[in-house]
Amino acid sequence: MSSILYHCTCTSASTASNVPPEPTLPSSAFAFHPLHALYFCEECDLVRCNRCVSVEVSGYFCPNCLFEVPSASVRAEKNRFRARADIFTTRCARNCFQCPHCRNTLSVVPSDPPEEILTQPRPQTTTESIGEPPFFLYCNFCRWDSQEVGIVFEKPTGLALQLQKLEDSLPDSLEFERLKDHFEPLLRSSSSSHHHTQASHHRNPITAAASSALARDVPGLHQPIRGISGRTYSNPKPPARANAPKGWDDWDSVIYKSRLEVAGSGVGIRIESELDWIKALDEGHGIGRVAEMEQRWLSSWTQSLKARQLQPLRIPLHSKKTKRCPDCRHILIKPEQKAQSVRYKIKLMAANYLPSIDVFVPSLVPPPPSGGSQLPKSKVKDAEDNGALMMQPGKSYPFQMTFTNPLYEPIQVRISVHRAPPRMTSGDAIPHRPPFGITLPSSAFPISAFAEAWEYEDDEDMFDEDDLEQMLSGNSSGGGLGLGADSRGGRGSKGHVGVLERKANVTRVGGEVLIGRDASGEVKFNMQVSYTYRAEDSAADTTSPKKTGKDDPAAAGEMKTFTFFTLVSLGSIAPKADTGSGASKRDSASTSAR
Amino acid sequence: MPPIKDRFIISSKAVVCQDVDLKGDITIGPGTIVHPKATIFAIAGPIVIGADCIIEESVILVNRKKDTMRIGDENLFEIGCRVEAPSIGNCNTISTRARVHHTARLTNYCVIGPGTLLVPEEDETLEEYTVVYGAGAERRTWSGRGKVQEADLRNKHLEYLREMLPKFNRLRTTADIGMSSPGVAGR
Repeated sequence: MSSILYHCTCTSASTASNVPPEPTLPSSAFAFHPLHALYFCEECDLVRCNRCVSVEVSGYFCPNCLFEVPSASVRAEKNRFRARADIFTTRCARNCFQCPHCRNTLSVVPSDPPEEILTQPRPQTTTESIGEPPFFLYCNFCRWDSQEVGIVFEKPTGLALQLQKLEDSLPDSLEFERLKDHFEPLLRSSSSSHHHTQASHHRNPITAAASSALARDVPGLHQPIRGISGRTYSNPKPPARANAPKGWDDWDSVIYKSRLEVAGSGVGIRIESELDWIKALDEGHGIGRVAEMEQRWLSSWTQSLKARQLQPLRIPLHSKKTKRCPDCRHILIKPEQKAQSVRYKIKLMAANYLPSIDVFVPSLVPPPPSGGSQLPKSKVKDAEDNGALMMQPGKSYPFQMTFTNPLYEPIQVRISVHRAPPRMTSGDAIPHRPPFGITLPSSAFPISAFAEAWEYEDDEDMFDEDDLEQMLSGNSSGGGLGLGADSRGGRGSKGHVGVLERKANVTRVGGEVLIGRDASGEVKFNMQVSYTYRAEDSAADTTSPKKTGKDDPAAAGEMKTFTFFTLVSLGSIAPKADTGSGASKRDSASTSAR
Repeated sequence: MPPIKDRFIISSKAVVCQDVDLKGDITIGPGTIVHPKATIFAIAGPIVIGADCIIEESVILVNRKKDTMRIGDENLFEIGCRVEAPSIGNCNTISTRARVHHTARLTNYCVIGPGTLLVPEEDETLEEYTVVYGAGAERRTWSGRGKVQEADLRNKHLEYLREMLPKFNRLRTTADIGMSSPGVAGR
């Protein structure tokens, strides 16, 4: 299907010219994005994509109870109630649990009363549910309950606290506590002497901490520590450690003794040899009872290998992210603080600045009886989608592009095909690759401003009344910009290049693609779009000049021009059929307008 | 194929709405509630539904085999499900938009999760307390905990429906029993 993608300049080889890569190379797909995935930085006046923005976390929340957790307590390593950093702080602490079998949310339910209650006559007035403590967790989807692993509660609320005592006594958490106590004084003293040597450009303490933690593992990257207690190191070090920062020695000198030897992997299986380990897995109903990958991998080593012993987990927190422009640090996306709102405080989308373009090849839409490729689907081997038909070599197809203007001012758009220069053989109108020719309207065409729907009836007088209005069929409001001989006839005729229709803030232009006789593959070309608008001048409708606007800086208000590249893909060319249409080939972009 | 003769034996304590599509030889036990827009087609063989079942909207119960399709007591057929199982026991729950093939047989206390397709390749009888869930129709066995509360909940459901449904829907009166009403047959 025909599609259009926009180019983000972050991946250009040279910063001077934001030239997009050649579209026919398979590796150039990374540089083009659909319009809805792009942002726009107003300060730099550039398009930003998801790869070049810098992302920060703006808040955490639990997806189940939608409770916002302040980032401070997520990051905190030691908190009064949160002894186990990995379990508590990145997961919800408020009664939100996840079924270990199906990852659904668990609900707290009371236990059954004895069965005789059902046979006794119940007073008609009660609508309360029967049920008595103890309470346990129950999954509505797979009907797992936490009594299978022995977790019951006395009260239905405050589960976090009730589980806290249980979890604290696990050997893992005790070990972790001892480790933290051991390293805490070292950390504190190293970070205090370390601050002023930090040469990083991180402004966010979270990312600074993360990057220094990462760098610590790589010898040589970490900033050298001045010495924990003022000692100097004069011992000769082995060459492998010569690059290691001096602080490392200090950490080694204090050996940590583990509390107890933990052999075997996973809680609940402490078997020495591998054979016994496999036997332990196999006991009771075979290997199918081992916990699945999806059930275990999010739980950070705390889950047992046996499916029967899987514990309910707290629900992991989700984060809301803020995106910034990498150069000027301007915020592009900032979500609202409330967890349940999906809106954004700041939302600078490219769709609000760049005109959105739709490309459409009328003759390739199935099931057309009109001219164009009629190849049966069985012959088409590399059709990308079964619905669209393919273009036949040796023919020319008109296509239409619809431009929608999002700005509140009218714009003048100029489009041209962009060719990568080195590939061309000198001066030929039709060099060997790429073998198709594109004809686009060569002069600028205006698109009206975006306005609310009710305003358009009054605007008819303000549009340009060109004489060509009657030549174009079915125009609703305002004339088009003809191109002389090219704009004859209605939309359906071939060879129609130029503005087809202007309606509200949408302009449809037509172009034509001529497929060479030896063409094959896909028809893709880079199109350079540049549009001009008058900034800080809202009532520019009547005075918006057509062709001279771009060159006229003396007009009222300042004219701004913005250029971006797009990748237009019109479809595929049918491969060479048996005898009929000859070899497929591609022609170059023969008419690349200014 | 011989024309389907309608023969309905509907207990007077059952609540069957008028908009239900019935066809063939159907027996409905006391206390059962059939919501409007349900479809019960006993095409090749009869269907016998037990007591206190709840058959919700858009449910399709089809019997294409010659043997009788027996459905037990206190089952819940949620909206949109399609059941062709030849035998169903008591206290089962077939959730929304689930589909049960004619090769499966349910015993008691089974739960077919929402949207699940239970299509065993050969004839299979699900054990009691089996839960089928997920897109891949994974199974596990329910421990049975909570079944007293669930039975109690179903009782309350039945009582509520018996009270409210007749207020808002026309019921199939006893005059229709035993006759093939022209509005229903022949569809």
